[in-house]
Amino acid sequence: MIETQSLSKTYGRGMYALQNLNVKIDKGEFVFLTGASGAGKSTLLRLLLLEERPSEGDVIVGGRNLSQLTPDETQAYRRTVGFVFQDFKLIPTKTVFENVSFVLRVLGQPIEQQRRATYQVLKWVGLQHRLNALPLELSGGEQQRVAIARALVNEPHLVLADEPTGNLDPDLSLEIMNLFRDINARGTTVLVATHNRELIKWVGRRVIHLDQGQLAEPKP
Amino acid sequence: MTVVGYSFAEAWVSLIRSGRSALVSIGTIAIAFATLGGFLLISLNVQGVLDQWLQAAEMSVYLHDTASEPERVALETFLRSQPTVAEVEYVSSARALERFRADFPELSDVTSGIGENPFPAAMEVRLRTENGGDAAADALAREVAGKPGVSDIRYDRRWLARLVGVVTTARWAAAVAAGILMLGAAFTVAAVVRLSIYARRAELEIMQLVGAPFSYIRGPAIVEGLLLGGIGAAVALLAISILYSMLARWLGSDLAGYAGIGALRFLGLTEFVMMLLGGVGVGAVAGTVASRAVR
Repeated sequence: MIETQSLSKTYGRGMYALQNLNVKIDKGEFVFLTGASGAGKSTLLRLLLLEERPSEGDVIVGGRNLSQLTPDETQAYRRTVGFVFQDFKLIPTKTVFENVSFVLRVLGQPIEQQRRATYQVLKWVGLQHRLNALPLELSGGEQQRVAIARALVNEPHLVLADEPTGNLDPDLSLEIMNLFRDINARGTTVLVATHNRELIKWVGRRVIHLDQGQLAEPKP
Repeated sequence: MTVVGYSFAEAWVSLIRSGRSALVSIGTIAIAFATLGGFLLISLNVQGVLDQWLQAAEMSVYLHDTASEPERVALETFLRSQPTVAEVEYVSSARALERFRADFPELSDVTSGIGENPFPAAMEVRLRTENGGDAAADALAREVAGKPGVSDIRYDRRWLARLVGVVTTARWAAAVAAGILMLGAAFTVAAVVRLSIYARRAELEIMQLVGAPFSYIRGPAIVEGLLLGGIGAAVALLAISILYSMLARWLGSDLAGYAGIGALRFLGLTEFVMMLLGGVGVGAVAGTVASRAVR
């Protein structure tokens, strides 16, 4: 599903965020990406979301080399990827329902289909009773569940999450991880960047550990 | 919802949210188009007057009061035989007076007070300008001046030609001024659209990350420019229409009378539509340029 080949990303002269990285993630896998701050976790996710381009090497997703995508193809690729960020990235002026249905709206789906899919995914994350609430009226855990619903509403093949529990307390973190496990159980490939070892231990999946932009053995 | 519907809905919301800056933008576009429309209106009417004057501007050959009938006939025969002459009409002294009284009824008392008819008889000659142009007309005027019975010649085509030249230059200057104003208006529209884009940046970032097509990302910005331009041009047309109807009511008949034309002329449907489309076009181009900020 995901393969990086000699992938490097530099900022400025000789400042490697990622250096000669070769990783492979199979379709339907649930993988944790760990490492200290600045290890390159977020950079790898940004490269996978095509927010940035590699300095060297290639990123292959679903058999397609992301470096070769045109702007329109990039947008088409992103439609197959769901993303969840630590700071939720919800639109504060839109309700919970609008924040999620917005994705389908800008993809030009019929209104009835937007409503049905949005309601279903919000019900799945347990927010069917907060449809008309604004993001700032929600708790952190609820906001992250809205972000997960938004990532899933388009039924992506791949879900990327960058420190999705970074702003949440341990109980809510477990709740969110359960959602990711459920997503993965439906066949979606999930890649979660986190430095929370407790969570990794609790979920118990494969770990890719980064240290200064390179693959490293996870610390005990 | 289609991309067009989505773009219009979002652009409208953005316009309302922009408030004062949108009004400034509409105002700037309106000033540019009102200037253009004003010039166009003046140009149309000046052109109408010039056309009539050019048509009427011919050579008038005035005869002495003492000119005999054979002299008049000989002169008329000579003029008709000239290749540069298209038409000759003899206007007697009495006919000239009659014409004056009909054209200027308010001055008819002046002529009745004089006693004798002050208007000389004349030959009104319409020329073929294509046969030698002004040089041929000058040569003819010189030759006619020496004929018996001729007291004076008035040939006013030359100064009219100069006037046409001045009007043409003024028209070009006006077009350049309107173009500069329009460029300024386009920059204002682009600035307002950029502000809207900035206000929506969080939304646009998410749109990009979820893979929204560029038409959905940039469409609202383009439509916002288009609406600003269209509304600006419409406001300008409305202002010109109101101003014109007021001017036409207060001064129209006098102006038309002095200019020697039937009535003042307003912009036609084609000019109206062209100006409206021009506003929409300028706005859309400005919106498109501004939307390139979203990558």
